[in-house]
Amino acid sequence: MGIAVAGAVGLGLLAVPAGAGAAPELPPVSAEDLVTSVIEAKDPGPLHGTVTLDNQLGLPALAGVPQAANGSSTARVWSDGAGKGRLSVPSGQGEKTIVDDGTTVWAWDSADKTVTRKAVGAGQKPPEADATDPAAAAQKAITDLRATSTVAVDGTAEVAGRPAYELVLRPLPTERTLLREVRVAVDSEKRVPLRLTVLANGSSDPALQVGFTQLEFGAQDAGMFTFTPPPGATVTEAPDRPGDAQKAQRPEPKVVGDGWDTVVIASMPAQTPADQQRGPRGGGDAPDLSSIGKEVSGPWGTGREIDTAVATAIITSDGRVAVGAVPAQVLTEALAK
Amino acid sequence: MTLVESATTPHRGSAPMGRLLGAELRWVLRRPRTLVMLGLFALVPILVAIGVVVADRNGGGGLIGAIAGNGLVLPVAAMTLMLALLLPLAVAMAAADAIAGEAAHGTLRSLLLAPVGRGRLVVMKAFGVLVVAVVATVIVAVVGVLAGLVVVGGADGTLVTLSGTTLGFGEAMGRVGIAALWTVGQLAAVGAIALAISAFTEHPLVVLASVLGGLIVFGVLGAIPALDWLSPYLLTTGFSAGADVLRDPMTWGDLGGSTLRALCYMAIGGGITTSRMLTRDA
Repeated sequence: MGIAVAGAVGLGLLAVPAGAGAAPELPPVSAEDLVTSVIEAKDPGPLHGTVTLDNQLGLPALAGVPQAANGSSTARVWSDGAGKGRLSVPSGQGEKTIVDDGTTVWAWDSADKTVTRKAVGAGQKPPEADATDPAAAAQKAITDLRATSTVAVDGTAEVAGRPAYELVLRPLPTERTLLREVRVAVDSEKRVPLRLTVLANGSSDPALQVGFTQLEFGAQDAGMFTFTPPPGATVTEAPDRPGDAQKAQRPEPKVVGDGWDTVVIASMPAQTPADQQRGPRGGGDAPDLSSIGKEVSGPWGTGREIDTAVATAIITSDGRVAVGAVPAQVLTEALAK
Repeated sequence: MTLVESATTPHRGSAPMGRLLGAELRWVLRRPRTLVMLGLFALVPILVAIGVVVADRNGGGGLIGAIAGNGLVLPVAAMTLMLALLLPLAVAMAAADAIAGEAAHGTLRSLLLAPVGRGRLVVMKAFGVLVVAVVATVIVAVVGVLAGLVVVGGADGTLVTLSGTTLGFGEAMGRVGIAALWTVGQLAAVGAIALAISAFTEHPLVVLASVLGGLIVFGVLGAIPALDWLSPYLLTTGFSAGADVLRDPMTWGDLGGSTLRALCYMAIGGGITTSRMLTRDA
């Protein structure tokens, strides 16, 4: 019977989430020094890690808009520290792999066995790489929010088995934002951000957390940064993104305010005749928004307001989109300007 | 004095373990229903292979879709597919016959009275169940490899992983072996629980119904989002990890986690079976 009890206890232990060990002892560092060292941190060199994105934003699902699903998703990343990289995003019974071998970006999708290749200049990252790089995301957050925040070092934490400082950015009282704070775990040795956590007002659980759950620095197998299309795969050249041409014609989004209550106002892509011919599911980049959000109106016009835990968006009937991590009132003021 | 005693009268439970296990093995593998079931299991990979070929290399997504033109995925896909219900069915049948079946026939009584320790009896019965799990898994794997190479073919005897890399035949066989080993581990957990149930009833059908019903209930519980806190405790949560052997480089996280979970279930099932058999009246 003792064995049975041991088994039951083991099962209970397995269910306890790993991590959350004792906070490591680290020499104290001032917030100012930590921020400076993060911004000036050198490229950490070759690495291999697992990145986990925990998304509790509660975004409404939009047809035709690629986005990380609510909940948790993981990706495995490899970097040789000199511009080559590999990213693999496993799904239940498939996998998407993107390999940048320095001259060509290969994208493999196991679901339909297709390989898409696109020649790139050396050092140019595929756009997908940004979304899965916690270091880059955190570095950008720190640079953008520094001036309008109180910055503090709030103890230490262990992230992906590495000791790290917890840098906390809280909005100044004058900032009108839905966010409570942004926490960045900074590696104590390499000074690269390991984890970015966004906390919203009125919730103790992170609205968004992206970070390494496993990370090792050091030389990586060169074979990871080459890709040979497997037999039986369909290889296609990536078409020039239709978005690229349109983006050039489209006016730059307008930015109102700065820091935490920044509002970005962009104009919606106008539907081209081709899109309309293809019908509502034609895969044009204008998603159908009429079914979500609630109707709002004001001196700026009418539109639909979409609320999530950390951000608000208003899509006006004249084709403007205002987005920010702010209450709706700030958006309407920005639209009225 | 003690020396003389132990030399003359063999004390209870000293029948050689090898002979006991051999007897159990013959008893399990000579049963016609076991043989018929194993024969039917061998047909499953062949049917999947024919289905994939007939579907004209347009099999859709998932592991089944990955088989098209990539035959060495078949053994792994077949094992993953059959781990859902068919392989547990074989294990549950063996466990039901092992104790509840003997009790129903009245033959368990003579086993309990025989000069075989109760602990050894449990080991013997567990061994019989494990053999069925191993044989069933190996049959699916071997027939899967053969059907994959002969019926599906493609990829020049290599395995195209889900990550888009190509593995040679030897390494592909290694991956199939890891998947088979992992499958046996999961089945052993099912078998341990089935043996525990078997020790408490005289009706083999109760064992079958509880194991298969339990697996279905576990599957349903695991699919309800509001109960996701429950999933680390459910054996079925890890059943999809077999596909990880098809990634390159392999990810061990889910395979290891589900194997640890299976070990816990084995301990629970084994412990309950042993304590029940030790205290049971003959």
